[in-house]
Amino acid sequence: MNQFLFSMILTELEDAVGQENCSTREIDKLTHSVDYFWLSRLYADRGVRMPEADYVVSPKNAQEVSAVLKIANYYKIPVTTWGGGGGTQGGAIPVCGGIVLDTKRMNQIYQVNTESMYIECGTGAIYRHIEDAANEKGYATMHYPSSLTCSTVGGFLAHRGIGVVSTKYGKIDDMVLQMEVVLPNGDIIETSPSPKHAAGPDLNQIFIGSEGTLGIMTKAQMRIYNQPEERRFRGFLFKNMTDAFRAGKEILQKFKPSVMRLYDQAETGSIIKKIVGVEKDGAFMNIALEGISEIVAIEERILLETFARYGAEDLGSEYGEKWWKEKITFFYPGHALDLPWMFGTMDTIAPFDKIEKIYWEMKKAIESNFPMARFIAHFSHWYEWGCMIYDRFIVEEPPQDPMEALRLHNQIWNCGVRAALANGGVVNDHHGVGIKLGRLMKEQYGPAMQVFEGLKKTLDPNNILNPFKMGL
Amino acid sequence: MQISQTSKKTIDACRFCWMCRHICPIGNATGQERNTSRARALGLSMVEREMEALGKIIDNMYECSLCGACTKECMTGWDPTQFTTEVKLEAALEGCLPEYVLRMVENVEKTGNAYGKTALDEGLKQEIASLPENASTLLYLGTDARYQAPEQARRAIQLLKKAGVEFTVLADEPGSGYDLYFLVGGAEETRQRMKQTAEILNRFETVVVYDPNDAKMFLRPYKEWEIGLTATIQTFTSYVAGLLETGKLTVSKSEKTYTFQDPAALARDLEETQSARKILAACGNLKEMLLHGKHTNLAGNLLMREYLSQVMDLVAKNRWRDAEGVGATCVVTASPSEYVCLKETQPEGMELCSLEEILL
Repeated sequence: MNQFLFSMILTELEDAVGQENCSTREIDKLTHSVDYFWLSRLYADRGVRMPEADYVVSPKNAQEVSAVLKIANYYKIPVTTWGGGGGTQGGAIPVCGGIVLDTKRMNQIYQVNTESMYIECGTGAIYRHIEDAANEKGYATMHYPSSLTCSTVGGFLAHRGIGVVSTKYGKIDDMVLQMEVVLPNGDIIETSPSPKHAAGPDLNQIFIGSEGTLGIMTKAQMRIYNQPEERRFRGFLFKNMTDAFRAGKEILQKFKPSVMRLYDQAETGSIIKKIVGVEKDGAFMNIALEGISEIVAIEERILLETFARYGAEDLGSEYGEKWWKEKITFFYPGHALDLPWMFGTMDTIAPFDKIEKIYWEMKKAIESNFPMARFIAHFSHWYEWGCMIYDRFIVEEPPQDPMEALRLHNQIWNCGVRAALANGGVVNDHHGVGIKLGRLMKEQYGPAMQVFEGLKKTLDPNNILNPFKMGL
Repeated sequence: MQISQTSKKTIDACRFCWMCRHICPIGNATGQERNTSRARALGLSMVEREMEALGKIIDNMYECSLCGACTKECMTGWDPTQFTTEVKLEAALEGCLPEYVLRMVENVEKTGNAYGKTALDEGLKQEIASLPENASTLLYLGTDARYQAPEQARRAIQLLKKAGVEFTVLADEPGSGYDLYFLVGGAEETRQRMKQTAEILNRFETVVVYDPNDAKMFLRPYKEWEIGLTATIQTFTSYVAGLLETGKLTVSKSEKTYTFQDPAALARDLEETQSARKILAACGNLKEMLLHGKHTNLAGNLLMREYLSQVMDLVAKNRWRDAEGVGATCVVTASPSEYVCLKETQPEGMELCSLEEILL
């Protein structure tokens, strides 16, 4: 693009969002080029600049988003939506340059509706802030991922995020009532006033998880819940994971704990040992029960009786309470996996009849093909029918050369995800797809991918929204 | 960059971490990604790798208020304010300070204050003139109060008079160095100014410091850098709380409810959160904002208001929203900076007072 046209477009964007909210400053372009994706961090660490936007805009509301998208459509400029930048899949990186649309000025909390138990807010609101708003009124959002303090409502919605009490309260996609979305052509739409209906397919679920490829979510009604009277923890040590899966499945046919986390032997002996202090061998499982005290007491009795039948050693409440206190500590520099290591979380999900096999097959695939890699896992979000694996690989001495590191990184990911897919898993459970895993979407969906492609082609014929993400 | 190894380590730790984003009063006001510790660290890490020029990103350092909320929030103990401050000195040495910073530094050199003010408010001048020239106790007002909030400065004097305290205020008060420290970090000029100020303050037994930002300077950097300040330094809030405790100052309790805006320098750096609350408890009832005490949220900074006035308005408006969120009706400040910024943005139906206004 020549400088004259660049300047002309700049003034149009300034007209749309205000001059102070449209930037070409170095610092803005740089900070929107590196998200939590390991490869972007590696490049920055090696002093290599990642692809950068030409313009960074911060609209205040759907009307301003609409104006930006109309400009982008006319000039056919890519638009990448950026919430908090805490995504691990490179979904927010402007790989084709163009416009980065930062949502964080859309952070209004419009209402805390205690009659119908939801908060209506802009999707640029930091989730912790809507939690604060709920807490001020005596309620809670019950969405507590490690990135609670740094990620936006829209960011969590864009990749179908999940929090640590999901087993009882659900994923982010279970917590939305209604949304306002700006389509790629600039039209502003609202999804159904109620999320449960028979008026056709659920529009919410078309945009949730679409990673900014089909539209830009600008407003959402997120559920809130009563604060529990009590939250009780109980730690257990299983001799093996098979027993733990069976025990977990049996409990879930009776009631839903809020926290339910099973750690494989490798993670029990490393991270759990370091942070929580469990010194014994085995598979550690942390359970939290919460709600009305009388019900919690009954659930605890059933839990102890059930797990005892599967040979679990009751470790009491101490470890679980420590884990709850430290649950975010895991993600601070000095505690989190970090450079110079190469690492990745290959989370996948499957029914109980497949999940354990997927774990062993992924472990075997990674460890046999990449002997330099360690494989650790935990199982942290459970349903009546199955659960997810949060499995991670770690390479302590990755190649220094960024291109060599990128190649090894992608080979490991291909290997791990293909092992999951071959055994009934999915590309990802709750981190999304982004640029990292887009190439594997067709391998999971096969001809079903044309449903996504058809939506994309119809809604975004100029392919301006987040190109090459999610395999679209 | 010629900065400490600690700062270099902090930059590398913070460059990919956003955990403190939610607490930054500037980032929450602007919604801009660059207003995070992570953005500042990432930019500087690229400077360190010679992939970015410091002069191109130095503005970003001046968008941080150094309120320390991120430092308090960090569970690993990193302090992003340290590298932000050190890099300002590096920029000064490299000759790439922003124009607005150079102008304020020049103001300090010429007029003794960053605002370039050459005369005191007439009312304040008269109030100071009414005090004895010699006393063992000095009320140190600070440049923010003297030049930007003279009404509050006058009330502070009147309050000590009411309590019968024998004290004085310097007509020609030297700066604490807070402004220079904020603008260019620990430069030699900052130290020289601090030494000159210490010599003057050492003529007094006790120095009661009105502005928490100045108190922080006297009680922290002056000690750390062994400036030789020997006078006893006391914050205005703790001094007034003492006057109430000893009965030198009396108030009658009302049914009114107050919400205290903890200044960051007082609550976080000096760990003083109870003095003001004791005072307010003696005057009426207390209603806390969600973020209070050491978790306080900045309500404004007058130095930054010189070059980011709209942002400071947004910061203050957010704090008003915090107060409204818990049903507060009267916000009480102990910082001239925050008083002025909150006053500028005061919503209808909300009341703003300084501690001395309530006590007088």
